[in-house]
Amino acid sequence: MLQQTSNFFSKIRKFIPMLSTAFLALAAYGVGAYFFVGMRNPQVFFNLFKNSSYLLISAIGMTFVILTGGIDLSVSGVVALTSVSSAVLLREGWNPWVVILLMLAMGMTIGFIMGNFIVRLKVQPFIATLAGMWFARGMCFFVSDNAVQIDHPFFQVLGKTKLLIPGLKELAEAQGTQPPYITIPVAVGFILLAVTIFITAYTRFGRSVYAIGGNEGRNEQSARLMGLPVDRIKLMVYTFNGFCSALAGIAFSVFVFSGHGLYAPGMELDAIASVVMGGTMLSGGAGYVFGTFFGVLVLAVTQALIQFIGTLSSWWTKIVIGALTLTFIGVQSVLANRKASRALTPQEMKVVRRKQLMQAFGIGIAVVALVFAVNLLFKYAPEPAAQCTVAPFRKEDAANLIKDGAVIAYQRVAGPRCVDELFGFYPDGRVTGTDGVNKVENQATPAEVEQLLTSIAVDNQWFTAEIYDTFLTPCRQCFVHYILVSYNGQVKGATGTDGTTALPPFYLSSISDLRPLLPVINPAP
Amino acid sequence: MSESDQNILAMESISKAFPGVQALDDVSFTLKRGEIHCLVGENGAGKSTLIKALTGVDHPDSGKITLNGKEVHVRSPQEGQALGISTVYQEINLCPNLTVAENILIGHEPHKMGRIDWTKTNALASDTLQRLLGVDIDVAKPLGSYTVAIQQMVAIARALYITSSKILILDEPTSSLDVNETQHLFSVMRRLKNEGMGIIFITHFIDQVYQISDRITVLRNGKLVGTYYTASLSRLELITKMIGRSLAEFDDLTKTKREIKKRIKSEALLHADGLGRAGAIEPFDLELHAGEVVGLAGLLGSGRTETANLLFGSDRPDHGSITMNGELVHEYSPLGSILRGVSLCPEDRKADGIVDNLTVRENIILAMQSSRGWFNFLSLPQQYEIAEKYIKLLEIATPSPDQPVKNLSGGNQQKVILARSLATNPKVLILDEPTRGIDVGTKAEIQKLVLSLAEEGKAIVFISSELDEVMRTSHRIVVMRDRVKVSEFPGDVGAHEIMQAIAGSES
Amino acid sequence: MRKFTKPSFTLRSITESRLFFPLVALSLILLFDLIFIPGFFAIESKDGDLRGSLIDILRNGSTVMLLAIGMTLVIATGGVDLSVGAVMAISASMAGILMNPAALRNEVFFVTDPYYTFQPLWLVIVAALVVAIICGLWNGLLVSYMRIQPMVATLILMISGRGIAQLITNGVRVQITYAPYAYIGQGWVILPFSLYIVAFIFALTWLLTRKTAIGMFIESVGTNFRSSFFSGINEKRIKLVVYTFCGFCAGIAGLIASSNIKTSDANNLGFATELDAILAVVIGGTSMAGGRFSLLASMIGALVMQAITQSMYAVGVPAFALQAIKAVVVILVILLYSEQVRGFVRNITAPKKEV
Repeated sequence: MLQQTSNFFSKIRKFIPMLSTAFLALAAYGVGAYFFVGMRNPQVFFNLFKNSSYLLISAIGMTFVILTGGIDLSVSGVVALTSVSSAVLLREGWNPWVVILLMLAMGMTIGFIMGNFIVRLKVQPFIATLAGMWFARGMCFFVSDNAVQIDHPFFQVLGKTKLLIPGLKELAEAQGTQPPYITIPVAVGFILLAVTIFITAYTRFGRSVYAIGGNEGRNEQSARLMGLPVDRIKLMVYTFNGFCSALAGIAFSVFVFSGHGLYAPGMELDAIASVVMGGTMLSGGAGYVFGTFFGVLVLAVTQALIQFIGTLSSWWTKIVIGALTLTFIGVQSVLANRKASRALTPQEMKVVRRKQLMQAFGIGIAVVALVFAVNLLFKYAPEPAAQCTVAPFRKEDAANLIKDGAVIAYQRVAGPRCVDELFGFYPDGRVTGTDGVNKVENQATPAEVEQLLTSIAVDNQWFTAEIYDTFLTPCRQCFVHYILVSYNGQVKGATGTDGTTALPPFYLSSISDLRPLLPVINPAP
Repeated sequence: MSESDQNILAMESISKAFPGVQALDDVSFTLKRGEIHCLVGENGAGKSTLIKALTGVDHPDSGKITLNGKEVHVRSPQEGQALGISTVYQEINLCPNLTVAENILIGHEPHKMGRIDWTKTNALASDTLQRLLGVDIDVAKPLGSYTVAIQQMVAIARALYITSSKILILDEPTSSLDVNETQHLFSVMRRLKNEGMGIIFITHFIDQVYQISDRITVLRNGKLVGTYYTASLSRLELITKMIGRSLAEFDDLTKTKREIKKRIKSEALLHADGLGRAGAIEPFDLELHAGEVVGLAGLLGSGRTETANLLFGSDRPDHGSITMNGELVHEYSPLGSILRGVSLCPEDRKADGIVDNLTVRENIILAMQSSRGWFNFLSLPQQYEIAEKYIKLLEIATPSPDQPVKNLSGGNQQKVILARSLATNPKVLILDEPTRGIDVGTKAEIQKLVLSLAEEGKAIVFISSELDEVMRTSHRIVVMRDRVKVSEFPGDVGAHEIMQAIAGSES
Repeated sequence: MRKFTKPSFTLRSITESRLFFPLVALSLILLFDLIFIPGFFAIESKDGDLRGSLIDILRNGSTVMLLAIGMTLVIATGGVDLSVGAVMAISASMAGILMNPAALRNEVFFVTDPYYTFQPLWLVIVAALVVAIICGLWNGLLVSYMRIQPMVATLILMISGRGIAQLITNGVRVQITYAPYAYIGQGWVILPFSLYIVAFIFALTWLLTRKTAIGMFIESVGTNFRSSFFSGINEKRIKLVVYTFCGFCAGIAGLIASSNIKTSDANNLGFATELDAILAVVIGGTSMAGGRFSLLASMIGALVMQAITQSMYAVGVPAFALQAIKAVVVILVILLYSEQVRGFVRNITAPKKEV
């Protein structure tokens, strides 16, 4: 019996890393759906793809690079450059199709140039692509200092069109619920996936890629001696990755509808993590593109789980991703290090294989158990206080305050005492506050309010594109804010969450400016 | 047909210089259609440089290469292949992560409707292997799952399939093969030769040269010594041309051996008791005495290196124990052994022996320094002193002790590794293939050295694939077969008896 | 009989020296400064302290120089440590919280007394360094005992490290107001105080690597770990020590950086400094494949990076363009190292053949 399973596993052995990632992703989602009703909504599942389509596209290109034993750190720079360049070009009225083609060409050019450095000048890929990233991000700011919105209808269409899924559509209509959908970038990602799977399995180019990487770098020399055009293939691989980065950049632009040089920081690490978790070894030569898909899925599921758990702050995502990558790499390394440098006798082989099987099983079970444990822990851990539900923003009430003559309306929700407070600042020095039940009013000097207004409106550049909406599930004792400012005829509001890294640069300053003048609203005993 | 029309290849006046060394100096070489031509010479003679010039890996500084009467300039390995020149290297330059079929056909896979036709690819590969080489294996499995011998066959299959190769170069193909596999390779070579292929065969096994070749070309120190018909050159003449020294030295060895035998101590210095490791070697007993050379004889894969590694502690045993000087050994590690006075010169000089970026001096004192620990640092004057001592003692050819070891020839690198072991003042010295891949002259030097070390009272384990070396230097011979220690013989046993023990009951 | 000959200062020996190319790079930049930036080389004395652009280069470059010291040893073993920036953030967070733990309650607690600290300075520093050492140890264990590739192993801490740093401070950017702590990065004793720290660590490392066998073992392990194994060198222990030390250096760098900006900013502190450190080592000539290393060359490499930054600012180049220019300069330097140019120089300086 053991022999039969051993034979079976020998056949699918090369697929085990990929399958374990797939299993982990789906199992994690399954567990999440068990505990969180919200995750049972099929749309939530499809949103996984929607939110990570750009990562998938980029990771697919990265898979090729890593298969040849190289690495490309520039991808996030190219994505940012694509986003900001296309935003600016669209704003100037260029034809969107031309813009897209131009961006793809630009990505390919950057990839091609880096590839030349790596291949012809023998620069280490790490260094060359790092320089590429710096260069790309630097170029972003030559294009535009500030974030640029994308209003162009074509891009809006690209981003917002809902592609209904046949089969599920009818099911939903029968049940009377919303039919689940995916977006165009997701479809593009899937098409790219299918194309690259074909390339790796059925084209000479694809097989040559495998020949170049692996065997701790010795394969490259072998491939050369076998007459393969190694240099040309590596060049093509980096160019292709440039293409994928640019395509990912377009997908990203179409997702957030804006472009900025600071976008997608650290995305290259996510891409690399996805590829590694998908079963591709960093030394190259082994791994499947399909595995990368599952790697991206794991990242997306992790993000979703953390959002649903809610009590964890966004930085836990980073920790969990790190831990998961560690587990996967640990498994990979352990399995790989067992390879003997010479061919083994049949007895040796049996011993080694059995050990490997046990290890693989053991680690797989441990990982699944870990996922279960984490979920259980957070479901049943004693809550310190009642979970604070974040009240929605009362933007109309704030607007009304402005109409009444306030220069600043400020709503503050959640926090340590789970409040929902709306404040108004008036030019005559009055500061009002209400939590829906109690009202309070303080008197400050007109000069102070004037000072506050100038500080926020002018010093903090409230009315430029530097300030924009951000929102993330807040940590347990964090506030979410909505600040509405009226100045010189302009009115602009922006939401934000404490303790996150996504805040625009001067948002936090504005909160600090407001704080001293806030009256204390005592809740009714 | 005149002589030159028979030539499929003619290399004229090839010269090539690297920084500091003239690798080839006005060398000429010809290859006929349907011949097996051996290229021999000690290390550093220029054989690999000549081949690299032919195959396009390197470009000669001067000279002319003519293929079938037409002059060619081979600028890259691809061009070389396109011209019909194929090479199978010692390191099997294939991709172990790809399947056998892919390795044979990659770059030339048959297509169907724009995509690779895997069925046809596998069929073609299987067919090539069977028809041309008589090898029948599952071509859909990764190359890395097969033995070196099979991988070599695959490499040859690729060479034959890709181009209607007219010239096949085999660079030290038999170093990792056992007797049967070597014979199989030879039968394949003969078959190819009969079909008109010109084969260049590089080897240092003199026996094999005489078994298979039609002509022999001897290189020495980058210059051409001469090209001869194998049938008209005796072994003695060949070796003389290779090393230019008399072989009386070899006879001295037997004399020295007999004298030392009287001085071997009776108590065992090191005693291995039921020592074994699952999957590597069955439990065995072995005793080493001071002043005695114990030779390990056996075919490739018989477990000799595994034995050496177990004795040295670089592999941990599953069974049994080692007692040294009456004390049981607890720590099985290289450092532990070095501290106890046991030292090993590993089999694979390049991978396990030298640290190529470091200088000769640093390589020599390396083991000694690790035995002193991290903080008890040998001062620079001390290091130079030790290095100079061994450079002189072993006659290591290097311009200075500060020369990076990678610039030395194979034989001198081996001497550096030997010096490293000797510097730790070991009581037991284990030498695993110390004479592999080096020139005949240095081989003799090393064998003489082994005996003189025994004379000083060291216990030596001497492993070599060349049986005559083992017989010449050992006081006692241990035979291994299929990972089992089979028998022990006194040093003056006849070759026939040992061969039988090695071959086993199937002979 | 070969005797130990004194090294001769031929032209070739100078160009082949490990310090040649980094010094050339540095000279080129300083030359640029000399021509295009008036007053760049001016050094004035304020209250006995030396000030000037050159001094600024040294001061602002101290973090990268420190990181480069640790990174050199790691790269010499054939590895790399991508997590140093994250470790900087972690150690800074630890220090910040120990001086001002009120931040954990997520209230903006403005400390106005520059001599207030929750824990004494020595404890703050020790705790921060201990945490950094633990991070280095973690990396070392992953690389040496679990045999995970260094790039991947340190990538994990790089990704999750900033998360951990934020966990320590509960997401808040802790203000650092304690004056003696600020002295670390901003103090001056004729020369900037941080420079003395760098000099001390440099001297310590030099002693440890060149006056003990550790340096030779590092080079041996980096060149060929199997041969080192057979020579009795414990590769695992060497790598463990090297990564732990790199973490230690990153910890000190984190203290300096956070005392400079008076905040422990988990997200931005040390952002991309790991890349600067790696480049400093590469410019210094240590191969990323491992083997021979030179601490001094890496320090010069770090100075090169800092000099570029400083010069560009002095010329008036805006911050964002700096990234792009750095990229270009790095490429130029790498080209200087490429085989083609090296071969060219070698041919020029080759000793003339005897006729």
